[in-house]
Amino acid sequence: MAVSGSVKTALQVAEVLEAIVSRCVGPEGRQVLCTKPTGEVLLSRDGGRLLEALHLDHPIARIIVACVSSHLKKTGDGAKTFIIFLCHLLRGLHSITEKEKALILENTQTFERRWKNCCQWKCISQALLTFQTQILDCIMDQYLSRHFLSIFSASAKERTLCRSALELLLEAYFCGRVGRNNHKFISQLMCDYFFKCMTSKSGMEVFELVDDCFLELNINVTGLPVSESRIVDGLLLHRDFSVYCPADGDIRVAIVREIIQPVFSTSRSEFVVNSEAQFQASQIWIMERTKSVMKHLLNQNVKLLLSSVKQPDLVMYYARLNGISVVDCLSSEEVSVIQRIIGFTPLVLPQASLQCEISDTALVKFCKPFILRCKRYVHLGLISTCTFIPHCIILCGPVQGLVEQHENALYGAFKMLRQLFKDFDLNYVKKDNNQNDTLSPPIYKNCGKSNQLPKSYTQSIQRPYQDTGIKSNDELEETQYLKVHSNLVVSNVELETYTPCSPPKVTPTDAVHTDETWRCLPLENDRVIDDYELLIESNSISNSIIDNTRIEISYENFQIIDTAKKGSMLPVKYRSLDMCTSQSFCSSSIPAGCVLPVGGSFEILLHYYLLNYAKKCQQLEEIISKLIADALLGIPKILYKSKKGNHSFPQIYLRALHTLQTNQPMVRSQTGLESVTGKYHLLTSVLQCLTKILTIDLVINIKRHPQKNSDQDSDDELQH
Amino acid sequence: MLSRLEAKKPSLCHSEPLTAEKVRATLCVLKGILTSCYGPSGRLKQLHNSTGGSVCTTSQSAVLLRNLSVTHPILKILTASVQNHVSCFSDCGLFTAILCCNLIENVQKTDLTATTTIKLNTHLLNFCTSYLRSEACGCRIPVDFSNTQILLCLVRSILTSKPACMLTRKEIDHVSILILRAFLLIIPGNTEDPIILGKSIIVPLKGQRVTDSTVLPGVLIEMSEAQFMRVLPVRKSSPLKVALFSTSLSGDFSDLGEGCMVVSDGVSLENAVLDQLINLGRQLVSDHVDLVLCQKVIHPSLKQFLTLHHIVTIDRVGVMLMEPLSKVTGTQPIGSLGSVSPGSYGSVKDWCSAKFGWKHFFHLIPNEATVCSLLLCNRNDTAWDELKLTCQTALHALQLTIKEPWVLLGGGCTETHLAACIRHKIYKEPGSILQDDGCTQAELQLIAEAFCSALESLAGSLEHDGGETLTDMKYGHFWTIQAGPPSVVNWTDLLSRCGCGVYNSQEELSWSFLKSTCHPFVPQACLPHETEEIRPQSTHSLTLDCLTAKLSGLKVAVETANLILDLAYVIEDKN
Repeated sequence: MAVSGSVKTALQVAEVLEAIVSRCVGPEGRQVLCTKPTGEVLLSRDGGRLLEALHLDHPIARIIVACVSSHLKKTGDGAKTFIIFLCHLLRGLHSITEKEKALILENTQTFERRWKNCCQWKCISQALLTFQTQILDCIMDQYLSRHFLSIFSASAKERTLCRSALELLLEAYFCGRVGRNNHKFISQLMCDYFFKCMTSKSGMEVFELVDDCFLELNINVTGLPVSESRIVDGLLLHRDFSVYCPADGDIRVAIVREIIQPVFSTSRSEFVVNSEAQFQASQIWIMERTKSVMKHLLNQNVKLLLSSVKQPDLVMYYARLNGISVVDCLSSEEVSVIQRIIGFTPLVLPQASLQCEISDTALVKFCKPFILRCKRYVHLGLISTCTFIPHCIILCGPVQGLVEQHENALYGAFKMLRQLFKDFDLNYVKKDNNQNDTLSPPIYKNCGKSNQLPKSYTQSIQRPYQDTGIKSNDELEETQYLKVHSNLVVSNVELETYTPCSPPKVTPTDAVHTDETWRCLPLENDRVIDDYELLIESNSISNSIIDNTRIEISYENFQIIDTAKKGSMLPVKYRSLDMCTSQSFCSSSIPAGCVLPVGGSFEILLHYYLLNYAKKCQQLEEIISKLIADALLGIPKILYKSKKGNHSFPQIYLRALHTLQTNQPMVRSQTGLESVTGKYHLLTSVLQCLTKILTIDLVINIKRHPQKNSDQDSDDELQH
Repeated sequence: MLSRLEAKKPSLCHSEPLTAEKVRATLCVLKGILTSCYGPSGRLKQLHNSTGGSVCTTSQSAVLLRNLSVTHPILKILTASVQNHVSCFSDCGLFTAILCCNLIENVQKTDLTATTTIKLNTHLLNFCTSYLRSEACGCRIPVDFSNTQILLCLVRSILTSKPACMLTRKEIDHVSILILRAFLLIIPGNTEDPIILGKSIIVPLKGQRVTDSTVLPGVLIEMSEAQFMRVLPVRKSSPLKVALFSTSLSGDFSDLGEGCMVVSDGVSLENAVLDQLINLGRQLVSDHVDLVLCQKVIHPSLKQFLTLHHIVTIDRVGVMLMEPLSKVTGTQPIGSLGSVSPGSYGSVKDWCSAKFGWKHFFHLIPNEATVCSLLLCNRNDTAWDELKLTCQTALHALQLTIKEPWVLLGGGCTETHLAACIRHKIYKEPGSILQDDGCTQAELQLIAEAFCSALESLAGSLEHDGGETLTDMKYGHFWTIQAGPPSVVNWTDLLSRCGCGVYNSQEELSWSFLKSTCHPFVPQACLPHETEEIRPQSTHSLTLDCLTAKLSGLKVAVETANLILDLAYVIEDKN
């Protein structure tokens, strides 16, 4: 059986998925109960898990699910948005083709038509790819970047994480992940955990450690209300002491991976018994040896022995006699967590003598039993040698399914943060002075020729300095001159917008100078030119001092444009642009910690800039840009579906457009932040998925068992 | 292999599962089963498998839910959360389950969106928990550990609420005292911090009268009659020296390693090991050990040898008794066949052999230890199982009161009192609960009504015999009238005491039927410990509940109800 792969079928599949997913998306989303074939019951709002649980049969659906899961592996977020966005893209494509089909004469042969179709799809998918790799990055960098906020406050020399910003970010994340009554609690828990585990020097390695060892760092307890969840200092091992001897003072810990008691013969060796006396002697030797090993450990002040294997009774006995606590049967993962935290290797017992000093021991603050709902755990106060301060999360919930959901959400949040804390390089290099750049319509060229652009477009670049400018001017004198200059004012919390890691060193006199210029900025046109010259001067100074950081330049850029608008002095603007771009010769990137407010602001912003971009494009590009821009709106549409009146989507959208056009600060109904990089990845993943779907023309169903020598993932491939 | 490669069947996806008629019906059936078991006059359920196996009679949620096989995922969530609660707190399982069912049922009638109901339910729950934890709470009593009266009431209430134990009033009193004594025996004498409680071992003795049950300090080890005859009443000066072996003394080789062992001709390893065992025996004799206990098996020759030297040997003790034995005797379990360090011996004050019913026991009497044995008798197997579970529940509840030294009024009074408090709060100052969450007052009123009636019908389900359920308008306590001859003119004459037994009808009270709506009133928090001084005899018959268990049950019930109400889809994997 062969099914022609068309947009129509793909759309049908995507619409079904969208219908399911859209009920779980956003803060109003609801839970889904999944049962496993084993009878276990699982609760989830995680899109990826949901799609997996459906065990979809349709080949196109399986492509989509595969794309989603590969996206999730990368970012840990956005499965539901993925489906919604993809569905809207397909819907858009479908309506375009429907329109064109009406134009195509009916008398063409079927085969020909299909051939034509395929060519067309290929064209479109190629255009999508170009868009994704070139134009998208360009727009992100040129326009969107100015709206970015950062979760770091750049007050000191080094960037520090702003707690309130992180709280907002996590709250928004958990809003879509866990039940409505728990998301605040869980996000608070995560935030606490994060700040408890981090030191000032902590960096990516903490994320890596938590990411790798997440299962070992949390304990699940069922039967208690969720609100009993908490964080405990130190590490909890998922088992009880085999021997527990209370000890205080200096407690040293040693890890072993083998049985301490010697055995008669190891594998592939023989033990020859010649006489009964010999056998008895060897048994006695084994006992004495075990005894002396344990004595030796005690002499080295080892009070706690961690073992990855089960230790025999004899070892336990001597441990107890010597007052050494023993925890055995530890999983290799637990052992590796301990090793990573305290940074030493398991003890290898010396074969010959026991005189040597054992170097592979570490100090622990305490080791004691920890009782949680009648089950006993080992509680270790490890002293960390890395930047991770060990803490454990105890996750409680009435049922296992709910606890697992929270666990997965926490895990996903760490993945999301891990990505957020990395700079992300865009595939877009700013090399402006070369006039022969091959990149398709470069934005800055358009900037330069903005006098030819429609009015709305010019306005879009302009900044609301009428409003916020004054405020920042006041602050200029005492602080850096970069302060809140985004038009997105986050309620409750004052977020500082992104500033580069190295704060710009503008000489005070210059700053004051600029400041004054701003203040005496007259409305009369005749004095404007002087002001601009002053401004440019200051710009050139600052530009030469700062290390060509991209964001910085775009800031300068916009400042000039902004003033240019007031005086409508295009030549000045042109010059300033040239000057800026000539100095910025580095590749662009989304810096670490970039966030945008939740509630579709990323989508609306990108939608707006894409529409502007589309106005000056060729035919196919224009179609693609418009298509993507319209599809982007699908997500906020669903988010605001239940809202009425002033908070309904059309209202929000119109207001947003209005504020973008008139450069007023945006008023937002929701608090919360989301990662820009995550959104960006989502967009690219969806576009890649779409191109994948579009390039398929025929789905061939093979009714045969997959070959044994084929790959594990061949399941999917055989279907198409 | 081929079957593993078979393509997976697509799952079934139901949207809005709670609206399905089938789900409602099954929920209703489950609720019916649970409600009918609730309370002292609850009906018993007989569970049996048509293909065989034992029949069990119960009214406890732990047994009931363990044996019921529910298939619908929503019911699975509900039962799993109740079972998890019970495994944490032992008590208040039916309370949790019925409240959860009531809440789901009542909230569904309101037709509000899931978001609103969940938000408001959470607010109401927070109000309840903070009220129950606050000083102003009118339905909790502080536990006075210098006086056993309250603790005894708590134990008796738990025993009374499990009718499947088949106990008479006298038997209940007897067992309550035993349980309380067992609890007091495991509390260590020295008050170091943290308090480590000992262990009470429940020893089964089925087929005897309940009043034959008893509590003994120390450990009872069951033995056969033949062994029993052999144990000589050695009279020696106390204390008696004890050795406890955790390793096998049977002469087997357990850890020889992974390689081969080549034994030359004529060499007998058995003899070698036996020699070693006898050597060990000699050491024990020379160390003047009086009693040898072994978790595993003792070689007959060694046994013989030790008996010859007037050492009592008991083997196959089992791993369960190892920890209590080591605690009672103060020994360290010996894991070596070689030389035994003198420090690992322990001692007991005395031992004796005792015969209870048809069973023979070896009784170790400790010098001072926090281990006791509760010898529990009941007439038949299923009643004994029920009684054992009840005793464990009671012991657990007593332990929980150490952490939180409060008890709640039982017999439905806490529920009706809470409902009255919520009603009053909503009436007086709804804003304090709303907390500008985007919910309207009307919505709050609807949900609060659903919440309160869930609590009240929970209290009402204590009554199974067709009687009327009422609440008084002063304290908000729960009252019942037995269904009797309608000839009585004044039905208030039929009321004697409220559910928990704190108030009697002598006071100037006015009542209202639970199902009818009444005007909100301020439930008075006349603390019962004040009244206790006035009427000391009344404390004798108080019905009390464990605060920790009930509070957690309340939270779990509301959380689970919220969870189930939040479900948009059920995806069933059909593989």
